[in-house]
Amino acid sequence: MAHCERASRPLIQCLSKSSVRGISSVQLQTRAFQTTAAVQEEAQAEAPKQAFYKSPDPALVSSPRLERRLMRQGILPIGSRRRRAALQATSSVPFEQLPYQCFQEARKVLLSDREEKLKEITTTSEKIAKIQALPEEERTKNSNHSRLRALELHLERLKVHADINDPLVKKKFEDGDGDMSKPIYRYLADQKWREYRRKILVQRITQMKVIPDVLPHCDPIVDTKLYFGRKTVPPGEFVNSQASSVAPKLDIQPFDGENRLVTIAVVDSDVPNVAEDTFDYKMHYLAVNIPISALNTKVDLSQLSTESQVVLPWLPPVAQKGSPYHRLSLFVMEQKNNTPLDFAAVKAKETDRDNMLLRTLQARYHLKAIGAHLFRTIWDEDTRDVMQEIGFPLADMELRRKRSEALPYKRRNPVTMRG
Amino acid sequence: MRPSISPVLASLANVFRIPLSQTTLRPTIPLLNQQTATQPSSPQAQARAPFSTTTPLLKRKSPYIDRRVTLIRYFLYHPLTPRPLRFSRTRFLRHWTIHRAWQLYQANRRRNHQLELQRQWQAMNAACEELRTGAGDGGKLFRKSMIKTRIFKDMFPIEYGRMQTEGPGEGWNHEWKRVDKPVKR
Repeated sequence: MAHCERASRPLIQCLSKSSVRGISSVQLQTRAFQTTAAVQEEAQAEAPKQAFYKSPDPALVSSPRLERRLMRQGILPIGSRRRRAALQATSSVPFEQLPYQCFQEARKVLLSDREEKLKEITTTSEKIAKIQALPEEERTKNSNHSRLRALELHLERLKVHADINDPLVKKKFEDGDGDMSKPIYRYLADQKWREYRRKILVQRITQMKVIPDVLPHCDPIVDTKLYFGRKTVPPGEFVNSQASSVAPKLDIQPFDGENRLVTIAVVDSDVPNVAEDTFDYKMHYLAVNIPISALNTKVDLSQLSTESQVVLPWLPPVAQKGSPYHRLSLFVMEQKNNTPLDFAAVKAKETDRDNMLLRTLQARYHLKAIGAHLFRTIWDEDTRDVMQEIGFPLADMELRRKRSEALPYKRRNPVTMRG
Repeated sequence: MRPSISPVLASLANVFRIPLSQTTLRPTIPLLNQQTATQPSSPQAQARAPFSTTTPLLKRKSPYIDRRVTLIRYFLYHPLTPRPLRFSRTRFLRHWTIHRAWQLYQANRRRNHQLELQRQWQAMNAACEELRTGAGDGGKLFRKSMIKTRIFKDMFPIEYGRMQTEGPGEGWNHEWKRVDKPVKR
């Protein structure tokens, strides 16, 4: 017996013993144990059983000779030899039925708690239905209104709390298989986002002064990812001007179950204005009436319909040589009450890219910023080509700082100050 | 030749950054170095610093050593410190399940305790209210019972003055005398 097999023997013994002795207790809890076993037996009976050494399974092989043969075929064995040896006997037991006493007791506690939560969910939804069944004038009374809102919030919380202790839910979420239509996975994703990525985003947009410059305030509640081509751009990154000459793709992930209509705007807040010695704003992209939800997250800015959504198409951002870097901030803004804006009116009104402020748009169309992103652009070797493509005026000009005249010499410690 | 030193000592040496091979294999070399360094060997060195009585090695400041860092390293790499806890995926999930169940159980117990206390307080409150209104004496009995003079007010029980143990403490120190100040005249 190989060393690894000897090491995993206690576990195998425990499993085989419990499968004989503890089968009645397991059966009481779930029938699944027996059905899976039966299915496996059938499957084994159907297929003529091939000897293991003829076609060794890379997840189960434990003898060095078979491993070598597999590797000669170009298949690498999976995991450690010790793990594979342990798996040879345990792969048939699903996670919830692992025969560990403390674990099973803990599962019982958690399941009973889940039962309680489910009961509470039904009673709460009954209460909500009762209030909603009231006639209109009764329902809009202040006390009932607030009570309804409180009950709905409580119901949301209960839905999350019913599943939050399930190890399989946790496992699924960590594997990235979470179903975003379910409140528990949305909750977990929100927690994860707020733990790191949202903090980074908020730090970047406040440290680079996008927040007081472009909009007075923004509290991001949707996760926004930005892709140029296949590359994802972290907030505040410098983007090559060739890469940013095509419109980016967005992944906007809201964490509540609502369907929203949003407006997306990309603003450059650092266009140098030489005549007045200041910086101007420029709107690089504006699109309205974009539907997003927890499941429908992908938005390709170049694929949106030009008849009903894109007000101003993508203008590649370029920075003139010698100008400081340009901050291009992207804002996802929720439309009020999810009502679609009148596209024709917006398109007729918003034509001038240069003199358009996002603050004005926000006030005019009752928008509210729910997500943000930021990237920067600066003169690089591809900028000249991009400028020629889009017909940028003064592409050959380089900006220089004005050299200030040197002041006449003045003694630091003049006679009048000497005591 | 292997250094014949116990693993405990070896790890301690590692903590305090003592080069093991040097000390164990050739213990004479650093000593020799020290001896040569402490005595100004050549007359040129003497001529260069004629007024200095300290040797150059004494004058040189040792680099700043943070004792906290040394202690952290000492305990972190101490042979008695257990290895970090590493779990496989399913083992961790099982551990997490048990942990969550324990947390849930404790939370439920705490909540039940709180509710029990609340229930007791309210029952006592209701009883007092009943005594005030339902006894038929105009609330006199209630008012009498609410008078709490001499209950932990004018004098605190001396038993609570010290930790409650089986035997009495020292009690009064009869030997103590006031130290009289010398009076100035």
